[in-house]
Amino acid sequence: MRNRLKVLRAERNWSQADLADKLDVSRQSVNAIETGKYDPSLPLAFKIAAVFSLPIEQIFSADEVAQAAE
Amino acid sequence: MPRETNPKIISNGRRYMGNMAVAGVLYSAAVFGGAFAIRNEALPQWAAILAALAPLLPALLMLRAYAIFLNGIDEFQRRIQTDAMLIAAGVVGFGSFAYGFLEEWAGFPHLPLIWVFPALIGIWGLAACVLRLRYK
Repeated sequence: MRNRLKVLRAERNWSQADLADKLDVSRQSVNAIETGKYDPSLPLAFKIAAVFSLPIEQIFSADEVAQAAE
Repeated sequence: MPRETNPKIISNGRRYMGNMAVAGVLYSAAVFGGAFAIRNEALPQWAAILAALAPLLPALLMLRAYAIFLNGIDEFQRRIQTDAMLIAAGVVGFGSFAYGFLEEWAGFPHLPLIWVFPALIGIWGLAACVLRLRYK
């Protein structure tokens, strides 16, 4: 799965630690999600969407969907 | 790479270390106390059984500390912990199974069962460190 977490975070000038605090997870978890090494659960994905005030599909996309769009 | 900043995660880690330290001290006391007690040859069988099982109580406290720790971490960290535990269970399970055959059929020296649990904990810790590095 791909995500735009790093871009969205940079737009808001948030550090990984800032986002981790908002999501109530560890900074390492934010890093793992951002780098695509870990796919969050659905509840955490919804929480991320709520923090950025965006629909989930504007943050996460399946690899095939992202490749097709490129 | 910046260190962890989430206060909830930090306090959970500290509580775990504190609980483990208390359990560790009690475990050492139970092991030394038990080892001292069984040197008395007049010790009745029931007392020897009690002395032998006494270290189990602080070991269960360690398990409780770990369960509390697991409940206080986030889903990604829990994934690392459970993956590490699965690796440790696989390595120790198959390792002891294989060694059992070697003991029975190939004349390898007998190893006491007491080493199974420490091996499980040791490999779990090692696996957790390796997995954490992999996700860095």
